[in-house]
Amino acid sequence: MWGLNLPIVLALAAIGGVLVWRRAHTLVWLLYSLGALWAFFKFGFVVPIPQSVATIYLAITGLALVAYASSSRERLAETVQPIKRLILEPRYRLALAGLLVALPALAAYNAYADLTMPLEAPGFGREIHPAPPPEITVHDETVNMTTGDNPYLHYKADDPELYGKHLENGRRVYYENCFWCHGDGMGGDGMFAHGLNPVPSNFNDVGTLPALQSSFVHWRIAKGGPGLPGPGTPWDSAMPAWEKFLTTEEMWDVNLFIYDFNGFEPRALGQH
Amino acid sequence: MTAQTRLRRQVAATFAVATVLLPLSASAQVDLGTEEQRAAGKVVYDKYCGQCHGDTGDGNGYATPRVKPKPRDFTTGTYKFRTTPNGMLPTDDDLRRVIEIGAPYTSMPGWPNLTSTEIQNVIYYIKSFSPDFENPDRYAEPIDIPRPLESTEESIARGRVVYEEQGCGACHGEAGRGDGASAPTLVNDKGDPIRAADLTQRWTYRGGPTKEDIYRTFSTGLNGTPMPSYADSLEVEDRQHLVNYVYSLGDADDPNYGTLITAVYSEEPLDLQDEEALDALFESAPMTRFPLVGQITEPGRNFFPPVTSIEAQAVYNRDEIAFRVRWHDLRADTSGRNNPSLEVPMWDEDNGIGGDATDAAGDSDDFFGDFGGEEAPAEDDFFGDSGDDFFGDGGDDFFGAADAGAGGAEFSDAVALQFPASLAPEETPELKPYFLYGDAQNPVDLWFVNLTYGVADTFRGRGSDSIEATEADIVEAVTSYDQGAWTVTYKRRRSSRAGVSFAEEQYTPVAFSVWDGFNRERGNKRALSSWFYVYTEPSAEQTVAGPVLRAALIVLAIELLVVFLVRRRARQQAAGEETAGTLTATEAPAV
Repeated sequence: MWGLNLPIVLALAAIGGVLVWRRAHTLVWLLYSLGALWAFFKFGFVVPIPQSVATIYLAITGLALVAYASSSRERLAETVQPIKRLILEPRYRLALAGLLVALPALAAYNAYADLTMPLEAPGFGREIHPAPPPEITVHDETVNMTTGDNPYLHYKADDPELYGKHLENGRRVYYENCFWCHGDGMGGDGMFAHGLNPVPSNFNDVGTLPALQSSFVHWRIAKGGPGLPGPGTPWDSAMPAWEKFLTTEEMWDVNLFIYDFNGFEPRALGQH
Repeated sequence: MTAQTRLRRQVAATFAVATVLLPLSASAQVDLGTEEQRAAGKVVYDKYCGQCHGDTGDGNGYATPRVKPKPRDFTTGTYKFRTTPNGMLPTDDDLRRVIEIGAPYTSMPGWPNLTSTEIQNVIYYIKSFSPDFENPDRYAEPIDIPRPLESTEESIARGRVVYEEQGCGACHGEAGRGDGASAPTLVNDKGDPIRAADLTQRWTYRGGPTKEDIYRTFSTGLNGTPMPSYADSLEVEDRQHLVNYVYSLGDADDPNYGTLITAVYSEEPLDLQDEEALDALFESAPMTRFPLVGQITEPGRNFFPPVTSIEAQAVYNRDEIAFRVRWHDLRADTSGRNNPSLEVPMWDEDNGIGGDATDAAGDSDDFFGDFGGEEAPAEDDFFGDSGDDFFGDGGDDFFGAADAGAGGAEFSDAVALQFPASLAPEETPELKPYFLYGDAQNPVDLWFVNLTYGVADTFRGRGSDSIEATEADIVEAVTSYDQGAWTVTYKRRRSSRAGVSFAEEQYTPVAFSVWDGFNRERGNKRALSSWFYVYTEPSAEQTVAGPVLRAALIVLAIELLVVFLVRRRARQQAAGEETAGTLTATEAPAV
């Protein structure tokens, strides 16, 4: 669910619950917050998030916790109390010695793991749905990105038979051109998808087609990868500029078809 | 008589026959489902299957001209992947298996989203396309698939003997790379070209990668293809040894595609002419496999590239860097022409799609005019005129039964490495040239080897329509073809006058293109990869001990400092309280 590793998240929440119930000491809370956040980033996601992102969040949280602990003289005194006792009281001498050995060992292990980590190609973020230009021109026809709409969509109500013909033409266009990457079932998992980076769009996804106006989809079909603005990394996208291959009608028909196949409606004009 | 009543009568007749035969074969019985089940199956079929297999099941859907191998023609009743003896119909479970998991590296995907009932209904509907399924004589019990034998050296050696005795190499090649002498001539019973499996790449086996899958293929054959059944000619045990041998040809079930070539440092000279020393150097360099797919983004689209992956390594020394790439090709095509900008028609001749034939909108003529389609004269390029060659031998025989003789293709095999002409600026490290031969602002350099000549030519690409020969850097290459595997080794100085230099600890984008002349690949019609990276590993030996020790000591020092400070403070406080005690007893301190 939401790409989370649920057992881990629940376990972390459970530990937090126990701490509330036992009225844990402030220091325990601080250590728990940092540790739980680390564990959440490390194990909590199904698809691991980049180490650099996790480090930034951990650093920010660490600073916040220090600020919290030192926000008043009393709180600071309360927080450092156990540390003072550990260092000063003779009965904790063994625990202190253990800690003095354990922490450097942990740091050493961390450094070792960093150094021996298998190399990976550098990864960069990209905007999946970058902002379109205000309007585009496809085969001498200008389409406004805000007010433009699929010219055949209205046949669905007005002339179902004609609508069906456009759909069938869209089906032809899709299976002559698109399924190698976007897949037979439109899951973004066609037979060439594994060789492409970024991976082709998944049209089954409820967060993709329904969130887009059909004019946006028309822009993506007509102008393809080369038509993306910089944040969309146009140099990596294998999406062809279909205006090179298809007629305007064919592009609107396939646009119609991918919505219909998945039982989705385009986002309506002016709907946010 | 309507089709439905006819079907019903046939079913009734079949049931009558089946009832008589029932005691003889209990499980291999005719089961065509109910009318409702077939109707429900039709709904699923029309949505998910008809676009390839045809709305009438004849294997002629919208996608058919552009896929290879061709979608199954359900009207023939001929099925490749079966547990039943050669020539027999598949069981429902056989059909279910292919629907659920698909056939790897073909256009048949798995359909995990379909429910078990939906699949059963679609099976009933598929069976209704062929009268064979009404004929009880075409049914047979599934074969027994025994547990695999242990893969001992003896078993594998015996399997090798069987492989040679049975002539498997005639199609699959001596080393199993799908490059046998007759591999280029293979067709199925519909006359469509078909490829012998590359036995070293188990993940591409259409019927599945397990030992059970392999045993099943030997024992039942692939109906309608040149792959026979060995059930009659080989004892069960010999087939099991053969399984172990075939299995030993590949080293993994998965391709384990990577994203990075690690270039390792060496003190040795990189001498391309010293084969032994070169092999020894590359022995120590890690090998990465990268996926290749058809170039289908720009005109000259390649929908079924036979080469689906390439392996790459790199080694560098003080001055030079060497790359080695390797891929499998069923035949060395070394007599034809090729270069990266060889013109390919807008609508390639290799399939029936494009132009007026299919354009329902009826304005295809304008469209062709605008984009200079097939009729447009090819632009002159430096390799001479290339415009006339495409139209002569189009049509169905492009796959070349005609030029089946060794190395007789019109276009030669070729390979190219692609690098950005310059590295991305620091403020936009993600910036790269367009992965299809670069773009006007960000050009690429191609290290192209036409395997007819076996030397490297360098090109600068500013997009597919702007590729020029360049001689700014000298790239050397040596090539070899051995039992179905091409190996090309490149070498260049690490520093470049006009292109990218390979500094230590640098990530350099790299992409690959492979052309299979046998598949008429040339110019933009090629197999290609996305951008990946080469990492030039530091030349100095990386020691782990130093940084690890440093990390530990720093933490220890901080700890000791904290302990020392806390204790001193405590001592001071204790002393302070004592002093304060004495002070109040005598006089107040001057503040």
